[in-house]
Amino acid sequence: MPALFIAPALAVLLSLSIYPLIYSVTISLQKETPGGVVWGIGNFARLVSDSFFLTAMAHTFVYAVAALTCEFLLGLGLALLLNSQIRGRGIFRASLLVPMMLPAVVVGVVWRLMLNPNFGAINGTLKQLGINTESLTWTASPKLAMVSVIAVDVWQWTPFVFLVLLAGLQAIPQEPYEAALIDGSSRWQTFRHVTLPLLKPSILIVLLLRTMDLLRVFDQIFILTEGGPGFATETISLYIYRTAFRFFDFGYAAAMSFVLLALTNVISAIYIKFLQAKEEI
Amino acid sequence: MRLTISLALVLLVGLSSCAPNPQPLKKQLTLAVVSGVEGDALQQAARDYEAQKGVHIEIATFPYTNLFEKELIDLKARTGAYDLIMLDDPWFPRFANEQLLTELTPLLEKRGQSGPDSDFVDTSVALCRHPYQSGPLYALPYVGNSQLFFYRKDLFEKYSLKAPETWNDVLAAAKTIHEKETTGANGNRIHGYVMRAAQGNAAVADFMPIFWAFGGEMFGPDGKPAVNSPEGIAALEFMIELGKYSPAGYASFNADEVGAHLLQGTAAMSINWPAWISSFSDPAKSKVIGKMEFTTLPGAQKPGQAEIGNWLIAIPRDSSNAEDAIDFLLWATSAEQMKRSAQRGNPPTRKSLFRDAELVAKNPAYPAQLRSLESSRPRPRTPYWTEIENAFGIFLSKANSGTLSPAEAMNQANAEIEKILQRAK
Repeated sequence: MPALFIAPALAVLLSLSIYPLIYSVTISLQKETPGGVVWGIGNFARLVSDSFFLTAMAHTFVYAVAALTCEFLLGLGLALLLNSQIRGRGIFRASLLVPMMLPAVVVGVVWRLMLNPNFGAINGTLKQLGINTESLTWTASPKLAMVSVIAVDVWQWTPFVFLVLLAGLQAIPQEPYEAALIDGSSRWQTFRHVTLPLLKPSILIVLLLRTMDLLRVFDQIFILTEGGPGFATETISLYIYRTAFRFFDFGYAAAMSFVLLALTNVISAIYIKFLQAKEEI
Repeated sequence: MRLTISLALVLLVGLSSCAPNPQPLKKQLTLAVVSGVEGDALQQAARDYEAQKGVHIEIATFPYTNLFEKELIDLKARTGAYDLIMLDDPWFPRFANEQLLTELTPLLEKRGQSGPDSDFVDTSVALCRHPYQSGPLYALPYVGNSQLFFYRKDLFEKYSLKAPETWNDVLAAAKTIHEKETTGANGNRIHGYVMRAAQGNAAVADFMPIFWAFGGEMFGPDGKPAVNSPEGIAALEFMIELGKYSPAGYASFNADEVGAHLLQGTAAMSINWPAWISSFSDPAKSKVIGKMEFTTLPGAQKPGQAEIGNWLIAIPRDSSNAEDAIDFLLWATSAEQMKRSAQRGNPPTRKSLFRDAELVAKNPAYPAQLRSLESSRPRPRTPYWTEIENAFGIFLSKANSGTLSPAEAMNQANAEIEKILQRAK
């Protein structure tokens, strides 16, 4: 009888998750040729010599590291700030959450308009302030484009980091702080030895979720720059999408997806290990 | 228990399909169309056809970016879901090469026609054959776009410049306007030229007419990629030179940005598609009413040639209603129906309609459009075009944004195109 109750869920899982997963493994090992399907590790071998893939991978890491660093530091700062008793913190907290509520596509479109070098609000404002905006072609210059897409991600996702860390801060009991106060610790010492260790579980969760999200970023970049100019902001998800749905090379796209999956897993494992290990000391 | 439920379902479905149908079974066709003005015209035609002939037509509408993948997946899976599909012409070689389409000549012969109507523009019908121009017919042309050269005739008159016939004329005019019109558009500079060089389709579409005029060819006589020929590199150098008179950031421009600059009167010249023409006389959008002129593309070492971009309609190989489908296809592409599509804003593919007095009165650019269409060239006809266009566009965009020199960009593009063709073998 219990088996019967699990059956529907199991059926859904099998048909929507397990089967596609196995199927994608098989197609990643296949190559369509005029003479029929050839089996082998050709798709994985091609990865090593595909400069588009390697560059897209590098872009993904630059993007993830830079965005994660900014989001974490800003989010932590905001959480600490709005955890204390300051006036109007309710309004601050609520308004900070707005970007997170917007769909990534909307964020992309809004920023694309704002970043337009000729008609956009940002250069318009800078011009009013007397700043020469001639060279500030946000999404069109290979150097600024990456900065722009990272800034948009930071704008949208810092609130999430803030929210999780704030919840973590509020869950810390008052007693350790009182003890620290009695022991005469400075504010920095209190932060370093009381707040941070007790906040560690929240930090772990937020870093893990953001890293996974950042590694598979697609929507905002697709709308903002479509990977351009040239190849300057092409991340691995964009390249996988193009390979699968533009060039119809599903085998190669599947192979790239598995590499991304493996890397995401390795990075997550490192996080968990690193943060757990420190806790035991 | 699950088994019982599914059995019950099977029974129910079985019973309902056995139930006597009070009405005679209606004929039915399913269409895949693109959203936007091109697809709207065909949808309207389908509604009219439905009313006249009593054939029920099911329409599936997809945005341009999804249509290709939708159609290719369905046709490759041989679902037979569609009886007629709209195809952008660069997609056609891939569909024809994989034998996913129905050959039309036998169907036409059954109806006593030996081939497509001779009123169709030759360059448009040539797109519908695989191999190009000479092979069997797999589609009919519905919307006859080809690029045009847009320029501000008021500024040309102001500086006594002659209508641009060569790319050197264009460069000289761009320079003059750029240098003199520093406060022309409400205190802003009027850029001499505006182009789109975002990676992918945009950069390639704006580059091909320059590339061809300079004598460049994507593939040499041996079928190997040859974009890094001296002519090809010279063409890219010229594009970048012209880019100096284009608004900053053009390396990420798409059609929208180019359109905005022209409509706002902040740029004087551009290559563009006929779909934009009507917006120039719309007071809500345009600050340059009556100031734009449209002509064929400039030449250089070779006469100017536009890139053709037609919408075709084809019958998938697995359609079970091919004979009904061809009836609708011929009806929708007939002069009478295509005129209605032209009145909705789509350039026709029939010579007689480009010369139709009523249409010309509404679309003064029609004579130029016909000249451009008749002398146009297709994008290189290869099933791997989407992949090649993507790679080529990346390197063009890189050269225009200053990351690579023209020679480096063309050499790398050539190597990448060669890799794509190698893989396809």
